[in-house]
Amino acid sequence: MQPQIQRRSFLSLTAAAAVLSGESVLKAAVQAPGPRIGFKRPGAAPGAFPQKWICGSPSLMDNTDPPSQVHWYNEHTAILRQNKAYSYEAPFAPLYFGNDRVLLLDEGFVQLRNDWDLRGIVDDCIESWCRRNGRNPADMELLVAFSHIHADHYAGTNQFADRPNTRYMGLTHEEMLGFWGMTNFPEQRVTLDLGGREVLIWGSPGHVISECAFYDSYTHILYTGDMFYRGRCYISFWQPWFDSMQRLIDFVDTHPVSHVMGCHVEISSKGEDYAYGMTWQPDEAPVHMSVDDLRHAFEIAKTIKEPGIYFTGKVFLCNQTRGTTTIDRNPYRYD
Amino acid sequence: MPTSNAPSLIPYNPNLNGNPASATGSAYPNGNPALGYNRPGVRNTDSAVPLHGEGPVVHDYASDGPAPGNIAMRWIYGSNVAAKNRDPRIQVMQYNEDSFILRQNVCSHWEAPFTYLLFGNDRALLIDTGAHASAHYYPLRETVDAIMTRWGQARRRPNLPLTVVMTSGEDIAQNQGLVQFAGRLGTTLQPKPIELMKRFHRLSAWPEGTGTIDLGGRTITVIPTPGTHKDGISLFDPYTGFLFTGDFFYPGKIQIANDRDYIASLERLIRFRDGHAVKWVMGGHIEMMFVPGKAYPRFATYKPYERLLQMDPALLDEGLTYAREVAGKSLMLIRPNFIFLNDVSPDQRTTVWPEGVPNIDPPRPF
Repeated sequence: MQPQIQRRSFLSLTAAAAVLSGESVLKAAVQAPGPRIGFKRPGAAPGAFPQKWICGSPSLMDNTDPPSQVHWYNEHTAILRQNKAYSYEAPFAPLYFGNDRVLLLDEGFVQLRNDWDLRGIVDDCIESWCRRNGRNPADMELLVAFSHIHADHYAGTNQFADRPNTRYMGLTHEEMLGFWGMTNFPEQRVTLDLGGREVLIWGSPGHVISECAFYDSYTHILYTGDMFYRGRCYISFWQPWFDSMQRLIDFVDTHPVSHVMGCHVEISSKGEDYAYGMTWQPDEAPVHMSVDDLRHAFEIAKTIKEPGIYFTGKVFLCNQTRGTTTIDRNPYRYD
Repeated sequence: MPTSNAPSLIPYNPNLNGNPASATGSAYPNGNPALGYNRPGVRNTDSAVPLHGEGPVVHDYASDGPAPGNIAMRWIYGSNVAAKNRDPRIQVMQYNEDSFILRQNVCSHWEAPFTYLLFGNDRALLIDTGAHASAHYYPLRETVDAIMTRWGQARRRPNLPLTVVMTSGEDIAQNQGLVQFAGRLGTTLQPKPIELMKRFHRLSAWPEGTGTIDLGGRTITVIPTPGTHKDGISLFDPYTGFLFTGDFFYPGKIQIANDRDYIASLERLIRFRDGHAVKWVMGGHIEMMFVPGKAYPRFATYKPYERLLQMDPALLDEGLTYAREVAGKSLMLIRPNFIFLNDVSPDQRTTVWPEGVPNIDPPRPF
C-alpha cells in the first residue's frame, strides 16, 4: 500500500498528502526561495487570450511559426498550442504554475523530442517562471497529465520519462484514475494542490470513457478537453456525455467560471467547419468560450434524440457519428 | 548478336572469357561477348551532339507501340513533421527525352498533384498547373522554364511555344499555378470558364467529339470527360501511350460529381481506349496505399506507402462496372485500385470491404 499512497501524495484530499505538502513547504523555506505567491484571491485572476493563435499555413514546408506557441495568459498560467505544421490536431495545452508544482495538461500529437521538443518548451516555461519568481526549477515538481486517453493528447508524454522531479500519467483508465486518486469516477471531484493553487478535477466521459474536466480556482478557467470544444465534439457515448454536460452545468451553477476552454479549434469565426485534418485555418474562432455557450449547447443537447451532427452556433455536436465524419460536401457536385 | 543455338548466358570459362573472375564477384569481369554489342536500353544523353549543329533537330515521334520511358524513382512522399520537410518543392521525373512528370511536394500542398510536360517538334504542352498560385510555394513556371531551356538547347529550338491546359479548369488542386504563366511570351493558356474552354479545344459537340493539340509530329487528343468536374477533359498522347485523366480516374478517392455524366464519360473513354494503344492511365493524384483498397485520409502530409501513379487501362472496365453500382446512391465503394465516393462527404467511411480482396493493414509510420 505504501507506494500507492506516495503516488498520489500530491493530492490534498488525503491526510498523508497534507502532511507531505507541509513538509515540502518546510523544505522550500530552508532553501530560501522567493516569497510564496498568494493564489487565493477574490474573483478570477485577470488574464488574456491572444488576438490570434498560430493556425498553420497554406504551404506547410514554408511554415516559420514556432513548434508550439507559448502564450502567457497571466503571470502564472501559460497556454501552449501545437503548430499545425507539426500536427494537424494542433491541441491546446495549459500549463498551470503553483508554489510547489507545475501541471501540464496534454502533450500534443508528436512523439519524438527530435521532431517536436515539447520537453524543451515546457522546461523553458518553467525556467522563465522560476526566474521571475525567484525559484529553483529543480525544486518544482512537474505533473505531466492529459485530459483524456487519445494519442493527440498524450503522444509527447514519453519525452518526460527521465525528467527529474516529474510524475507522468499512465495510458490506462486505471492509471489515470490512480494518478488523481479517484475512487468514484466520474462523480467524485478531487482537489489537486499545486501549492496554494487548487485545481478541481472530476470525470467527464462521453467523448471517450477516460476523460476529466479541470477547473483552475486561480484563473477560473474550466478546461473541458475534447468533450466540449470549439469544433466537432465527437460524442462516442451519448448518455455518459449528456450526464457529463449536466455535471458541468451543475458546476458552473455553483462556481464562478471565466472561460470554458477546449483542446482544439475546428471552426472559423463565421462558424464554418474546418474539415478533419486541415492544416491551414486562417480565420479561426478563439479557443475560449463562455459559460452561456456551454449552457446553450446543453439546452440544444436536451432536444437531441438520435445520432447526427447538430450545430449550436458555436460547436458541432456529433452524436455517435464516426470519428472523422464532417459536414463537408463535394464542392464540385452538379446536376 | 548471339546465334539461336548459343545460350544467352554462358558459364564462366577462363579460356573464353579472359582473366579469372574479379573480386567484384562478377561472372563476366570483361564483359559477356554472347550478349552482343547493341543491346536495348541504350540512352542518348546528348553529350556528343554537335556543339554548333545546324538547324533544329527534328524528332520522329512515330513509333511502333508506346515510346520507351521509365519512372525510375519513387515519388517524394512528405514527412512526419511537415514543417521540417526539405524535399524539392517540385519533383521532376524525366520519363523519356520528350516527356516529363512533375509532382508537387506533399508538404507544399497535401493534394500533391501531378503535372505533365510534353514536347513536340513545334510546341510544348503543360497538362495541369498544381495547387499553389504562389511561385514561392510552388515554382512551377521557373521549373518549366528551366526544363524548356535545357530541352531547347539540346534540340536547338529556343523559344519553343507553350500551351497550358488543365484537366479541369474549376479544380483548385490543378488550376492554381495557371497565373504564373500570365504574360509569358509565346504561351497559350486554356481559359478556365467552361464555355471558353470548349471553344478553345473546338469541342462544339460537347461532351461528344474530340479535339486535338498539335505539338509538331506529336498530336494530343482532347476527350471530354465530365463527371468528377463539370468541365473535365482527358488527354491522350499517342507517343507515350499515356491517357491523362486528372481527377476523373486516378488511384485515389474519386469524388463523383454527377454519376450520369461519369458513366457516360467512362463509356466514351473505354471506346476511345479500345481504338488506341493506351499504355497507362495517368491520373492527377495518388491517394491509395500500396495495399489494396486502403487510402490516405485527406490533408495527409506523410504518405510513405503510396500506390504507384500509373494505372492499367483495363481498370477502366472495372471502373465502369462499379460506377454503375454506385449510380443513384449515396455510397462509398472500395476497389483495390480506387475508391468511389458518390454523393457522400469526402471523409466518408464504410464498413463494407470488397469480396475477394485481401484486407491488409498497411505499415504505420512511427
